Amino acid sequence: MNDFTLIRDIERYLEGEMNEQERTAFEALRQSNPAVNEQVLMHQQLIQQLDQYGQRVAFQEKMDKIHASMAIDEVLAPSKTATPKKVFTISKRLVTNMAAAACIALVTSLSTIAFMQNANRQNTKAQYEDVRRVLNNIQRSQNALINDINSKKKAPANPGTYGGTGFAISNNGYVVTNYHVIAGADSIYIQNTKGEAFKAASVFEDISSDLAILKITDSTFKGQPLPYTLKPQHALRGEAVFTLGYPRDEIVYGEGYISAQTGFNGDSAAYQVSIPVNPGNSGAPLMDSKGDVVGIVTGKQTTSDGIAFAVKSAHLKRLLEEMPKDKLPKKEWNHKNRLGGLTRVDQVKKLEDFVYMVKVYN
Amino acid sequence: MKHNQNIERDRELLLGLTRNDDRALATIYTENYPSILRMVLQYNGSEDDAKDLFQEAMIILYEKAQKGEFDLYSKLKTFLYAVCRHLWLKKLQTGSWQLALPDELKEVLPAEDGNTMAEHEEKDQQFRVMEMTMGNMGEPCKTILEDYYIRKLSMQDIAEKFGYTNSENAKNQKYKCLMRLKKLFFEQYKS
Repeated sequence: MNDFTLIRDIERYLEGEMNEQERTAFEALRQSNPAVNEQVLMHQQLIQQLDQYGQRVAFQEKMDKIHASMAIDEVLAPSKTATPKKVFTISKRLVTNMAAAACIALVTSLSTIAFMQNANRQNTKAQYEDVRRVLNNIQRSQNALINDINSKKKAPANPGTYGGTGFAISNNGYVVTNYHVIAGADSIYIQNTKGEAFKAASVFEDISSDLAILKITDSTFKGQPLPYTLKPQHALRGEAVFTLGYPRDEIVYGEGYISAQTGFNGDSAAYQVSIPVNPGNSGAPLMDSKGDVVGIVTGKQTTSDGIAFAVKSAHLKRLLEEMPKDKLPKKEWNHKNRLGGLTRVDQVKKLEDFVYMVKVYN
Repeated sequence: MKHNQNIERDRELLLGLTRNDDRALATIYTENYPSILRMVLQYNGSEDDAKDLFQEAMIILYEKAQKGEFDLYSKLKTFLYAVCRHLWLKKLQTGSWQLALPDELKEVLPAEDGNTMAEHEEKDQQFRVMEMTMGNMGEPCKTILEDYYIRKLSMQDIAEKFGYTNSENAKNQKYKCLMRLKKLFFEQYKS
């Protein structure tokens, strides 16, 4: 039996074209011959496959037809809207991202603004009285600081110390203050706690230690004997000190202690002092417990709290000695301390009269 | 209630599909294609991708329905959408797309249909083999076989169409063709 007859027989068998006799014979052959049986099964499978193939092709054709008919109305419509839709969905994503980014940016900038404003407010609060009172002075002080830094001289401090206080070093109208308070001033006025103002002029300036000696030129000024002395020795670390200054219109008392024997950037002519210091305190006297002047407040470190600097009184003393004798007779500033046994309240009460507000106009 | 009604309608459509009712097919096709198109476009596919994808899903539906074993317990739309997503996922994984797999696709993979897909793949494989074999058959064998087995023409009609003197001759020709087809098909299929 060749392949052709076999396939014909199988086909006829499966199609039901065989008569009874033939089918019985073929079924017998199928049973006796496994190879024939296998061929029958394979044939069945093939026909089935072919059928499915046909169905699928037909189905596909139908779908294509539907698809094509849709193309006129519906596919075009979705594709028209769908293509922009694609863009739209992308942009929607973008929008989400952008919105997120914008939110972050907004939060960042707002918090930055809030932070800056807060920082600013702190600054302005601290300087509030001072700014109103001696605005020019502050500007000038800042300029002085810049000049100091530029000329690489010993800087009194970081920006943040502004002038405003001076104290008497003699009973005939000599007052010491910071150089940066009066630098470049047209006119200087000294005001005491009673509100009396006197015109003053700078007679000596030492830029390197940021000190200036003023002479009250007003004839109305009447000197008093000083109750304190300039202490020639160095104050020791840990020594209690206090100060009187004009960070406001009113004289303000503050106390602290000597923190270190050198000042800003290791300046050996100054102390580091832990004492509340505000703009306007510049030039304020730093007193020890006996009421003797151990230093002159010059500035503070802006980067950290509680760090102030004061020029040592010994330095001031040396300066005074260097001054031309005709300007400041020695005996004028060599006094006896009369505050030693008093309570702090009494010391301050007495000292107030010798601590002045320095007003600078230009 | 509404949900059930919808399923009833879908069931009827499916029955129509089983009966080769063209209108049922058209309804299913036109109602569901746009959402698939949107999905594919959303994942940066083309309109042709959408068409291929949807038609493949339709074939799966059709063949399942033909087998009579398909019990619809979700909406047709849901079924087609899930299948399309699955197919699209596969395409992204294995095809020429070198895109990263969208997470959304991973999440909505039809868990139910592992079997359906395996079955479909096998059938698809068979289909491709048959398609190729038929393509290699040459005339008149291809047309004779198609006419007889697919278009279900009678041997008489085929004999007339091809100018055979009688249906016996046509049959003999068909047997020869069938023999070749069988040989070619199983060569391919088994390899």
